[in-house]
Amino acid sequence: MKLSQIFRSKTGNRHMQFKMGIISSMLFIASLLLLPLLGNKYHLHIAILSMIYIYPALGLNLIFGYTGMLSLAQGAFFGVGAYTTALLAIHYGWPFWLTFVSSGVFCAVISLLLAIPALRLRSYSFVMCTLGLVVIGEAVSKNWVSLTRGDMGISGVPRPVLSLWGPGFVVSQVVHYYYFVLMFAILGVFLFYWVVSSPAGRCMRAIRDEETLAESQGVYVWAYKLNIFALSAIYAGLGGSIYVLYMTIVSPLIFQMYHTLLFLIIVFAGGAGTVGGVVLGAFLFVAIPETLRITPDLRMIIYGLLFIFLAFRMPNGLGPFLVRIGESFFSSQPKR
Amino acid sequence: MINTDQKILKANRLSKNYGAIQALNEVDFEVGSGELCGLIGPNGSGKTTFFDCCTGLVPLDSGMVMLEGQEITHWPLHRIAREGKVLRSFQKNVVFGSMTVEDNLTLAGQMHIFPNILSTFLHGLTTRNRLKSLQLRAAELLDLVGLSHMRSVKASELSVGQQKLLQFAAVLMPSPRLVLLDEPLAGVNPVMIENLSTSIQQANKEFGTGFVIIEHKIDVIMEICPRIVVFNIGRKIADGSPAEILRNQEVVEAYLGV
Repeated sequence: MKLSQIFRSKTGNRHMQFKMGIISSMLFIASLLLLPLLGNKYHLHIAILSMIYIYPALGLNLIFGYTGMLSLAQGAFFGVGAYTTALLAIHYGWPFWLTFVSSGVFCAVISLLLAIPALRLRSYSFVMCTLGLVVIGEAVSKNWVSLTRGDMGISGVPRPVLSLWGPGFVVSQVVHYYYFVLMFAILGVFLFYWVVSSPAGRCMRAIRDEETLAESQGVYVWAYKLNIFALSAIYAGLGGSIYVLYMTIVSPLIFQMYHTLLFLIIVFAGGAGTVGGVVLGAFLFVAIPETLRITPDLRMIIYGLLFIFLAFRMPNGLGPFLVRIGESFFSSQPKR
Repeated sequence: MINTDQKILKANRLSKNYGAIQALNEVDFEVGSGELCGLIGPNGSGKTTFFDCCTGLVPLDSGMVMLEGQEITHWPLHRIAREGKVLRSFQKNVVFGSMTVEDNLTLAGQMHIFPNILSTFLHGLTTRNRLKSLQLRAAELLDLVGLSHMRSVKASELSVGQQKLLQFAAVLMPSPRLVLLDEPLAGVNPVMIENLSTSIQQANKEFGTGFVIIEHKIDVIMEICPRIVVFNIGRKIADGSPAEILRNQEVVEAYLGV
């Protein structure tokens, strides 16, 4: 049986997309599981960072890609999550899973406090308001020296210990970390997929498309926005938590625009409103600048040119582009 | 409070100002169950504002709105919609463009079967049956408006007329008692107009749904509505059968012309 026949299904487009999605994600996970056999430590390091960034990028995807509100606060929540984990682990000696959960909860609380006034604002003012949180985050981490040790940052965050009983297993080598983070990434992506394919996911897309129409059909838009803002903050905070568990050090540099921009790039160029595109984007847009280190002088110029190219050739992002190619390859060929 | 009154929607002395412009001026309005009622009047006479005020889209300055004997005057739009008794369509051509036709309808029906927000996030085996029932209802309505073959097409790819039909099907999703249609025929070609007005009459007969229809195509309105209300400059100036309206001197001067 030819590959093209597998994808030709009687129920049409949607079913085919679903099948393609399952098959390609299985292949992708399998290749990730095998990566340590092929790559060296440096490759694994890049892959680990990519998988960590999947979290805040998915959060941004949820609020921007699915709900249509541009929030720049992902960078702030990423930093807050990292600091929360670092401080709780060092000062109270909490196990990693507890600090992980606490980071998410703390970010949710802060996001709700911000969202209640911020959701009154429309489009641009909302963006500015969320940007303000990044600036505040950086200022607090720099100036509240007694808590955050200022610019010196916090180092020596204990490595995560996996234990059901006894002394347990310390995640210390890069390969350990690789599988540790991979597990979280797979979990995060599947949870995300579950949320966006729920009735609530349909509400999000409805709010993005036509807010008033959604409201006139019984969607409590404000409450959804509030929940989704909190959920996206939780995703960013959990990402920050894993980040600091891996790096074992955190400083105010985490609040730099670099992170916020990186998340934006991953979502915009990967494909806002898609799951696969954003996951793929996280790997590509972390790996590409690293690969370009072979030409240090031209590195950022080439990176920039790449974005201009992407903006023109794939305005909806990489994910939708690949889906379209896949569809035209598998569906139109056998019919004609 | 038990109310044996047959009126579904009762508006009492509604007033609304936009700055110096008085969009609604003490308007009284009642619709009974299963009634087909046309709402006509010149541009800017307050027809759409009346819908906006009744459904909670814009806050009222004064007056009272009752829905089946329950006061809903200051309820927000989404809450009135979730009751599922009175729903409205919009003058602008609005559909959820990135979603399929079927998804548009599922969304229009789902908020009535998922009462709280958390339950829409937590879905799984238990919600599957409820979503199935929505799909059946959607299929029924797509048959009614003749869009069955477009089920899995993205709504943005439909023509203007088809989008109007979709919008019409969407308001019927939760089986409302009363539907407020805002210019459902604007920009629709003659064949589609025929389709849509038949669909309205059919829905009225089969489901017992009441309609209030804002429309400038007077001939169509006169044909399908046994009762017609006329607005002018924020006031109700006439209310009666098509024949009475045509004879009303004030209406002829204000709107119908000579």
